[in-house]
Amino acid sequence: MLIEVAHYLSILATGLFFLCFLFAFMLSTKDIFVANLVSRVYTHGFLFLLISFLIYIWLAVSDNFNVLYIAQHSNTNLPTFYKISSIWSAHEGSMYLWIVFLCLWGVIFNLFTKNTQDLKAKSIGVISFVAVGFLLFLLLTSNPFLTILPIAPENGADINPVLQDPALAIHPPILYLGYVGFVIAFAHAIAFLVKGDSSIKWESLVRTWSISSWSLLTVGIALGSWWAYYELGWGGYWFWDPVENVALMPWLAATAFVHSLSVSTKSSLLRIWTILLSIIVFSLSLFGAFIVRSGIIDSVHSFANDPERGLYLLGFTAILIIISTILFSFRLSILASEKKIFSFSKESFISINNIIFGTLIFSTMLGVLYPLIYEYLYDQKISVGAPFYNAIFIPLTLIAGIFLFFSIDSKWQRSIKITNILSPMSTSLLIAGSSLLLFNYFLAVNDYWILLSVFVGMLILVRYMFVIYDYLFRQKYSNLYSITAHLGLSILIISIALNSEFSSERALNIRMNESDAYGGYEIKFDDLRLEKSSNYDAVIASFVLNGPDGRNFILKPEKRKYFARGQITTETAIKISPLKDVYMTIGDQLDDGSWIVNIQLNYFVRWIWFSAIMMAFAGLMLAYSLVRGKR
Amino acid sequence: MKPERKRRLITVFLILISSAFGSFLIIKALDSNLDFFFTPSELYAQDIPDNKRIKVGGMVLEGSVKRDKTNIIFEITDYKNSITINFNGIVPDLFQEGSGVVVLGYLDKDIILAEEVLAKHDENYMPPNLEIEK
Repeated sequence: MLIEVAHYLSILATGLFFLCFLFAFMLSTKDIFVANLVSRVYTHGFLFLLISFLIYIWLAVSDNFNVLYIAQHSNTNLPTFYKISSIWSAHEGSMYLWIVFLCLWGVIFNLFTKNTQDLKAKSIGVISFVAVGFLLFLLLTSNPFLTILPIAPENGADINPVLQDPALAIHPPILYLGYVGFVIAFAHAIAFLVKGDSSIKWESLVRTWSISSWSLLTVGIALGSWWAYYELGWGGYWFWDPVENVALMPWLAATAFVHSLSVSTKSSLLRIWTILLSIIVFSLSLFGAFIVRSGIIDSVHSFANDPERGLYLLGFTAILIIISTILFSFRLSILASEKKIFSFSKESFISINNIIFGTLIFSTMLGVLYPLIYEYLYDQKISVGAPFYNAIFIPLTLIAGIFLFFSIDSKWQRSIKITNILSPMSTSLLIAGSSLLLFNYFLAVNDYWILLSVFVGMLILVRYMFVIYDYLFRQKYSNLYSITAHLGLSILIISIALNSEFSSERALNIRMNESDAYGGYEIKFDDLRLEKSSNYDAVIASFVLNGPDGRNFILKPEKRKYFARGQITTETAIKISPLKDVYMTIGDQLDDGSWIVNIQLNYFVRWIWFSAIMMAFAGLMLAYSLVRGKR
Repeated sequence: MKPERKRRLITVFLILISSAFGSFLIIKALDSNLDFFFTPSELYAQDIPDNKRIKVGGMVLEGSVKRDKTNIIFEITDYKNSITINFNGIVPDLFQEGSGVVVLGYLDKDIILAEEVLAKHDENYMPPNLEIEK
């Protein structure tokens, strides 16, 4: 009964959202009654959808295996937390969550914005249209409410064990919140284009929403990277897997977008860029959904292969993109600015930034799609791996970093005299340069790209130290959000470079009570035991490591066999320190009784995630300050 | 021609030239960094230089897995031909005889020195190109 209620409510919500779309675009939204109507219908539509989703959560928590999806992905033995997270462990449920979040952004926007705001009713209409498109997709091609009747199975099939993990339980929701948050910016851009009144400042209306979405997207991606690092046992933080790439592309576009937005909010410059980027960000988010859910590309992440779903998503995304571009080209004339961009002004640097990010997005897209094109043309399977992305991303990021260095003291809408900032710049150059010599001489770093990355990273880092000094002791105005986010970038560049330079790994063949040595560590295989848990058996090895500093610590890598699916997983053991991680995994036992174990020394890997957190924190604080400033 | 129009024309021209040049560089980077995918039979049919990184996929031949300390030596087969793989390190949890696997590495005479061994996280997974043949 409950299942049918939830199903019915979600259909009802679809209907209300469709009405909402019709009202917003068929009636004159200048009329305040229409604006009120649109707003109320939307809120009710969301309410129905929310209740439907809450019922669904309850069905999962109460182990209602009449629901096919829950029977396939949950299990009575799971803790409640994972019963809930099992909802987004596969296609149907995660799509459902995705839609609920999409509409959630819409309803928050709806509740916190006055109905008299010029673009509101039309924006809600656009959001409703997108919601209807995806709700129909959900209900027609991937219905989470399908039932097993009349007799439900005794127990569910269980969630994939590698997904039974706190980081992975919260990674998809945060990532989705980030992805779909850009619907607000997209909807405003479309509403702005439809209205065609260039005096409306749509950019300032969406800034808070876009920056908070960007922060969430940053955290979501970082969480995924962190999870992959400790759970999959490969010891990497980024694999250039197609599914990672389709998350990276909206992030890159969003980063360019929020930069561009800050220009267009201040003056009407770069409006064309900003509106185009808002469309691109959201389209790329949808494209990501298409790639992951169509199974068109081989990836460890991809959901089950279903051409029908892929076709629907591709079609809907294409419709949105085509409508947007047609609108955009019709209104191009009202977007052009009379003002000129001065060279060496902040606007000029942000334009350059847009171009660099555009190139990065284009290259990533090419890397994702090229295997498909190539196979179609030459009937030969290929894949594009890390070497290509490194060849593109490293030089471009460094160029962007150098421009950032020069832009730090630039001003809005006027040029700067280089001579005014010569002394902090030359000092930074000097310090960054000498740090290079240090690395080259004492640590024997010879790779040019590594040295160059460290140089650019240091350049930005040191330059910002001067800015912070000026802020603290000379009361000079500084944008603390920008400083924090860009310091994050410099730390990211340096830590990625050092990680790839110093990290190393080795496989060891070792017997119980024997010792081996690697990287200055003496490793003793101390103990091995079997342990039973509620839903798996585990082999737990215990190693005593004696470090170069004479300190001992114990690492206990595990292998688990889960009952429900018979799946074997590897649990890593990691000793964390600010400088490096000591990372161990255990492999198979050989016929002579010895074991294969893998040990990795991963340098500066913690700093990579820390830098992402810095960026996201800066974004959230900026969003918070914007909200407070409005009151 | 009006100076304003001339200036615009030059700008457009410069944008076109630079984007063409940029695209050329990107495509060149792409072409020199592709990993080609082969089945064992395709591998024998073609002449592959040993400094080219390649991917080979197929099934792990039953009874072919040998271990020597941290090295693992096995054969990948497409039920017509097979090729020997040598890998140093831990193979994925889903690696087993008779199941699908993809390796990334370099050809060295008759064997492949693998840098990575991947077993798809899906029990129903078949390496590409085998689906039709079997």
